[in-house]
Amino acid sequence: MSSSWAAEAAAVFVKDWRCELRTRHAVATLALFALTTLLVASLVLGPIGNDAEMSRRVVPVLVWLIVLFAAAAGLPRAFVHEEESRTAIALRLAARPSAVFAGKLVHIATLVAAIEAIVAPLAVALFDLRVAAAAELVAALAAGGLAIAAATTLLAAIVAQGRGASTLFAVLALPVLLPALALAVAATRVALTGVAEGNLLTLLLLYDGSVVVAGFLLFPAIWNP
Amino acid sequence: MAATALAFKGLSRRFGPVRALVDASAEVEGGGILSVRGPNGCGKSTLLRCLAGLLRPDRGTIAARERGRELASDERRSRVGYVAPDVAFYDELSGRENLRLYSRLRGLPPGRGEILLERLGLAGERPFHAMSSGMRQRLRWAFALLHAPDILLLDEPFQNFDAAGERAARELLAERLAAGALAVVASPSDVALPRVAGELLLGG
Repeated sequence: MSSSWAAEAAAVFVKDWRCELRTRHAVATLALFALTTLLVASLVLGPIGNDAEMSRRVVPVLVWLIVLFAAAAGLPRAFVHEEESRTAIALRLAARPSAVFAGKLVHIATLVAAIEAIVAPLAVALFDLRVAAAAELVAALAAGGLAIAAATTLLAAIVAQGRGASTLFAVLALPVLLPALALAVAATRVALTGVAEGNLLTLLLLYDGSVVVAGFLLFPAIWNP
Repeated sequence: MAATALAFKGLSRRFGPVRALVDASAEVEGGGILSVRGPNGCGKSTLLRCLAGLLRPDRGTIAARERGRELASDERRSRVGYVAPDVAFYDELSGRENLRLYSRLRGLPPGRGEILLERLGLAGERPFHAMSSGMRQRLRWAFALLHAPDILLLDEPFQNFDAAGERAARELLAERLAAGALAVVASPSDVALPRVAGELLLGG
């Protein structure tokens, strides 16, 4: 008997969330980081609600920096932990590489979505923002979150194979994530102001598609010797 | 001709300046055991990792056949049952949950894991991080035999077992051999094994 690809990917996804919910390692770290940063920023940047125009410019940058740093701090664990705890051997023997990548990607994407679900409404409330286009804001958060999740999943898989994983992750992440972040910030600002700035969402989705496809193509060679 | 066969020739592997495995060659057919012996550091574990498809050798060839058809590297990896000290499972999950995960990954019913837990005398409720070394070894055996593999790669397979654990593992090994599987067993000392079809001495 052999399993379907989707069943394998789902098993990896469920396993990652089950382990996560039992230790709450990443969720607790990321939520604490996101909340602290947002609260400190809202206090330091002046009385909440003042200068709505400036808030619309600053808040998108702030939100995406929080999501990025939370991701950078917590997500390399996805593969580094598998290698360091030596669970990767059994996973390599039992599952197809592309199913492992898909399961990990969906797990990380849902983690990023959870961070966004905390950070975005809180930012809107703390800075007393009026959202001009709510649907576009949700779309920007979803597309930007997928970009960060896909890029960090792939980068985490690469750095897990070598020593000095954290440093290598930081060096590789900058050029890969910079375009995604710039697009996500701009798309979020457009959703807040309602002033169109080209088809940013399409570009962001193209980035998502490229990184996800690159991930599926490259991962088997990274994961297996 | 046996349904399953494994042959390797001239396998060598370096880790930087260290020559971990030098020019290893042997073959074994279904129903038999290839016994690999040698002192610590002679390359036994490296050889088994190469055979499992977990490590790429620098030189040499590996050919696994199933009913006359040569298996690709990915196919060989999926057909291997691998017991080794460096195999670990998820600390947050119990033995039973770990086996259910690998059953789902391999498309197997969960009942197979339950049978193996019972045969190996492992309760299965304890999280992996709280298991003794002997319990961990039993779980490694259950993981390795879950999919009834035709190629068993066993690195120091009886270490940390008590008498009952070793007896259960030997019975399961004998059943797989009787069913036509082959085994490569690596150990630093002379271990009594059934159906030994060949011996490979490394670092001698």
